[in-house]
Amino acid sequence: MKFLNNRLLSVILGVAVLLAMSVFLTSFMVNMRLPDNHQGFEPVQPIAYSHLLHAGELGISCLHCHTGAEKGRTAGIPSTNVCMNCHKHVTAPILSVRAEDEQAAKENRPPRRIFSPELRKLYATTGLDDELKPDSSRTASGVAWVRVHSLPSFVYFNHSAHVNAGVLCQTCHGNVETMERVRQVSSLSMGSCVNCHRDPGLTASTGRKVTASTDCVVCHH
Amino acid sequence: MSHEHHDHDEAMEPVQEFSRRSFLKLAGFSFAGTALAGCQQSNLENAIPYLLRPEEITPGVPYWFASTCRACSAGCGVLVKNRDGRPIKIEGNPAHPVSRGGLCAIGQAAIVSLYDSQRLNGPLLKGSPSTWDQVDAEVMTELAAIKNSGGAVRFLTGSVTSPTTRGLIGRFLASFKDGRHGEYDPVSSSAILDAHQYTHGSRLLPRFRFEQAETIVSLDADFLGTWISPVEFTKGYRAGRSLEGSGQKFSHHTQIESRLSLTGSNADERIIVSPDEVALVTSRLVALVSSRAGRSAHSVSPNLAEHLENRLTGIADRLWQTRGRSLIVCGTNDLGLQVQVNLLNDLLGNYGKTIDVENPSYQCRGDDGELTRLIDEIQSGSVQALFVEGVNPLYDLPDSTALKEAFSRIRLMVSFAERVDETSETARVVMPQPHELERWNDAETVAGIVSLSQPTIQPLRDTRTLGESLSVWLGERHGAYDLIRQEWERSVFRRRNQERSFTAFWNKTLHDGFVEVEGQGVKVKSLKRDALHPRSSSPKPVAEGAFALVLHSSLTMLDGRHAHNPWLQELADPVTKIVWDNYVSISETVAANLGIGEGDVVTIQTEEKGRLELPAHLQPGQHDRVLSIALGYGRKGTDRFIDVGPKWLQAKPTVAPGELVGVNAATLLRFENGELAYTNLSVTIAKTGRKHPLASTQEYHSLTNPDLLGGGTGERRPIIQQTSFAAYAKDPSAGSFRKHEIESLWPDDHQYDGHRWGMAIDLSACTGCSACVIGCQAENNIPVVGKDEVGRNRELQWLRIDRYYDNENGELSVSHQPMMCQHCGNAPCETVCPVLATVHDSEGLNQQIYNRCVGTRYCANNCPYKVRHFNWFEYPRGDELHRMVLNPDVTVRERGVMEKCSFCVQRIQLAKIEAKNEGRSLRDGDIQPACQQSCPADAITFGDMNDPESRISRAMTEPRFYRVLEELGVRPSIGYMTLVRDTEDSESRPSANEKGAGIHG
Repeated sequence: MKFLNNRLLSVILGVAVLLAMSVFLTSFMVNMRLPDNHQGFEPVQPIAYSHLLHAGELGISCLHCHTGAEKGRTAGIPSTNVCMNCHKHVTAPILSVRAEDEQAAKENRPPRRIFSPELRKLYATTGLDDELKPDSSRTASGVAWVRVHSLPSFVYFNHSAHVNAGVLCQTCHGNVETMERVRQVSSLSMGSCVNCHRDPGLTASTGRKVTASTDCVVCHH
Repeated sequence: MSHEHHDHDEAMEPVQEFSRRSFLKLAGFSFAGTALAGCQQSNLENAIPYLLRPEEITPGVPYWFASTCRACSAGCGVLVKNRDGRPIKIEGNPAHPVSRGGLCAIGQAAIVSLYDSQRLNGPLLKGSPSTWDQVDAEVMTELAAIKNSGGAVRFLTGSVTSPTTRGLIGRFLASFKDGRHGEYDPVSSSAILDAHQYTHGSRLLPRFRFEQAETIVSLDADFLGTWISPVEFTKGYRAGRSLEGSGQKFSHHTQIESRLSLTGSNADERIIVSPDEVALVTSRLVALVSSRAGRSAHSVSPNLAEHLENRLTGIADRLWQTRGRSLIVCGTNDLGLQVQVNLLNDLLGNYGKTIDVENPSYQCRGDDGELTRLIDEIQSGSVQALFVEGVNPLYDLPDSTALKEAFSRIRLMVSFAERVDETSETARVVMPQPHELERWNDAETVAGIVSLSQPTIQPLRDTRTLGESLSVWLGERHGAYDLIRQEWERSVFRRRNQERSFTAFWNKTLHDGFVEVEGQGVKVKSLKRDALHPRSSSPKPVAEGAFALVLHSSLTMLDGRHAHNPWLQELADPVTKIVWDNYVSISETVAANLGIGEGDVVTIQTEEKGRLELPAHLQPGQHDRVLSIALGYGRKGTDRFIDVGPKWLQAKPTVAPGELVGVNAATLLRFENGELAYTNLSVTIAKTGRKHPLASTQEYHSLTNPDLLGGGTGERRPIIQQTSFAAYAKDPSAGSFRKHEIESLWPDDHQYDGHRWGMAIDLSACTGCSACVIGCQAENNIPVVGKDEVGRNRELQWLRIDRYYDNENGELSVSHQPMMCQHCGNAPCETVCPVLATVHDSEGLNQQIYNRCVGTRYCANNCPYKVRHFNWFEYPRGDELHRMVLNPDVTVRERGVMEKCSFCVQRIQLAKIEAKNEGRSLRDGDIQPACQQSCPADAITFGDMNDPESRISRAMTEPRFYRVLEELGVRPSIGYMTLVRDTEDSESRPSANEKGAGIHG
């Protein structure tokens, strides 16, 4: 470092520091958040599954598909067989099916089976062909959903404890039933957990107030 | 980032005015700024759900399989915990009638072997990878030719406990004109079976019922550590020594041995004799007991030293008083000696009471006579086909060079091994076996108790069970499941006579893991021959100037079959506390005379030109003329552990390049009178001048204060309270340290309204077997750190077992004390943490929060129990596959954080959540920490101290309850129960310890 005199070094470092600070402050003002806070994260999913349609308009309960939420730690993403319980019959939106029925009636032919392009993606990952028959040329790989909500690896959150205590899914996940594409509404920061744990404001069916612990090891172990 | 710091660090040294410190300040801030600004982007993570979710799997919820442990042939019942399709922990099955919920360290560590990437994948033909069809064709062509020529076909296996496999081997061999099956145990108990053939007319291994015995005399049998069925025996031993409640009973245990074994360290009375004296002592006991029984003595009474004679008279009196309720066991593989032991047990009327021959044990079926005949046949070249399973003859038998040469001449040699080992590398065909957790299997280890094993994971390797291979060669091609089911329908179901439907019977057995049926035990009533075996002559004594060598199985490696298991390699021997090595144990006085120090490499030379070089370990309680070495080390392939441990500047590899872990002591084994002999009465020892440092987890040994601190008074430290049973019977608080009234500087302002967790450890029950250490390691994702790091006192196991020596009246007394975080009420670690990473919770737990910890290590320095462990490095899992064993409920700690026992808080949380979900309150016993769950001695009690009905609350009111270093006023949540032994002196031991300073280690 002899080739640099101290004054020049100070200037270079000073400029670097100023630059870094300005980047930091700008980003802080534009969107004030701490690292690992993914609030607002709204990734594009491999299949444009609509919670607005299923949970909102059709009124299917969250627990119908996310069965793990009342049983264990993770709510779980439904396995494809859960989707197929309905979608082996329902292959397209009702309006397009009706339109096809009318069209067929006009043309005096039996109606064709309509497939929505998004559901075709589901069938493809399930290894089914257009007739919903197993297709050996397709591998049943499952849908590679993009995870929206995730906690750091040193945090343990148990869904069943919260669901059974009467915490609504919406408390942490927001009004998913109004979302076409799921977005992380809450910051899922420790603050948001602890604020609720201090005073859950819930009453159990027995009439007792629901209490929650604020001990560290409740979540960190 | 840290690397960049380093670069600048060195570069900036010469600059004067612009100090290194100010540069770092500025640079650090700018880096932090960019880091914060740069972390907005979320990293995409995919979540791929099942296509068809298996019914029993809910992601994130554990599920259990009942199965059977095969880590040794004892056959303990286990429950395998699975998470998301992979087994992560093995625990004892409380319902199983043999092991009753206990599981030893080896059984629990067996899970790591499943995730061993060096297991064979697919069969080998002449050493190169092949396919099942190819090797089947090869084997069947050869077999057809051998069948036509009428050549000899031999099976060489360990003890086959599976009725299905036994049946198949029998059927397979029956299809040849000359087919025979030889079984041997590398650590042989053949002489016990042969002795019963001689005395009772039936070659059997009786089932020893330690729970019925009031007087136990063990002649060199390490029944709490490695002998036959240690978990079963520990359970029984513990049941016979119960101080709880009204059913107080306390057996008297005398251990007569030459080295300090785990069992000897627990004995009430220990007599140190050299191996040649064991026969003399036994003869004398026969004579003494015979005279009390009014029978003429069979043996000439040898001349024994007076003090020994007096003690033997005492033992004989005690045995005679408790006849029918006493038990003599002998671990020496010598027919003459075992016949004498049978006579003794018969004279005392123990058969049918403490020794069950009607429902015998099948845990060891080895026949050394058959083995000798087989070796002779092989060496004469008459064997055409040899099938080896479950044993490693070129490693665990003597004279392996000649044997290897003979093996290479066999026309067809097939090895059923999990990996390439000493034997399978010689075999023409290697057919890899699946791990026990991947396969169907069954076992009848005790007559009338038949257990099932079931797969808990899709096989990770391309393997096939022995039964399936035999089925192919017999032209049947049945799967392992069908083979077992058919066999059970044919035989086991018939012996049951309870359920009407086989399917119902099968499903229930599969669920429970075992079934109790009618034993096929032989009807043996009385002694057939009460004359001594002609071989029962006393052996020649150890020659002047020579030593007696004792080879024994190691509590971690057994006969070497677990040498590839890193958890077991790093599990400290319960007596010597040494890891990652075997060594020759030598008495301290003799070592001093010979100028041998700890870790000096010595040469052991036998008369038969056997020669070994290995480090010496100075062992208290060892006979002066005895050298002892553990078997099971020096296994081929253990050079793989060269990579264990962190890489850094001063790191030394766990195994030196080109070397193995330890040396193979089986090369010094001999056949003597047709039995494998584990002792050798004329060996010499010499120093080589080299050193091989041994890594030990405990470098303090003694319970007395060092002269520097204690002023030469030899005061005992107030760490272990102990007393004699006589004193305890008079006063249950006997042996207690004088209690101080402790003034606390802290206000008593913690309320603990809800639960308050506490633990009690009964030192009378704890044998030091170390099952809890491995249980904790498996549950809490504790990495293996390697020999070098252990040598630097950086091992990470949260639970250690401190072993103390106490020399009173010239007799060594040993105590074992499990030591882990004491969850102090006024925890000294908490007050010094600058970032509040270790704090108290509302239920009395001392919490360690990894994400807050910055690694100052102040807490560890301030901990009086030295139970905190620091992650000096990012410890790599030695094997990529080992990540599969991680418990997803426990954080994997990273470099730079402190960690310690958490009372298995993940289990506490889960139990609380389950109780809440079911709308009930927690019951006592709902929460079992990993250490408590599988403890074969039931030494650990855990529970809610605020619940007056809980077992822990009751334990705490017992007069035996005390806390270690109570005078420090840290108010630990863990307490210990006074160690009670049925020793002679009625004076309670720790009398003058009031001044004993509370200094540990």
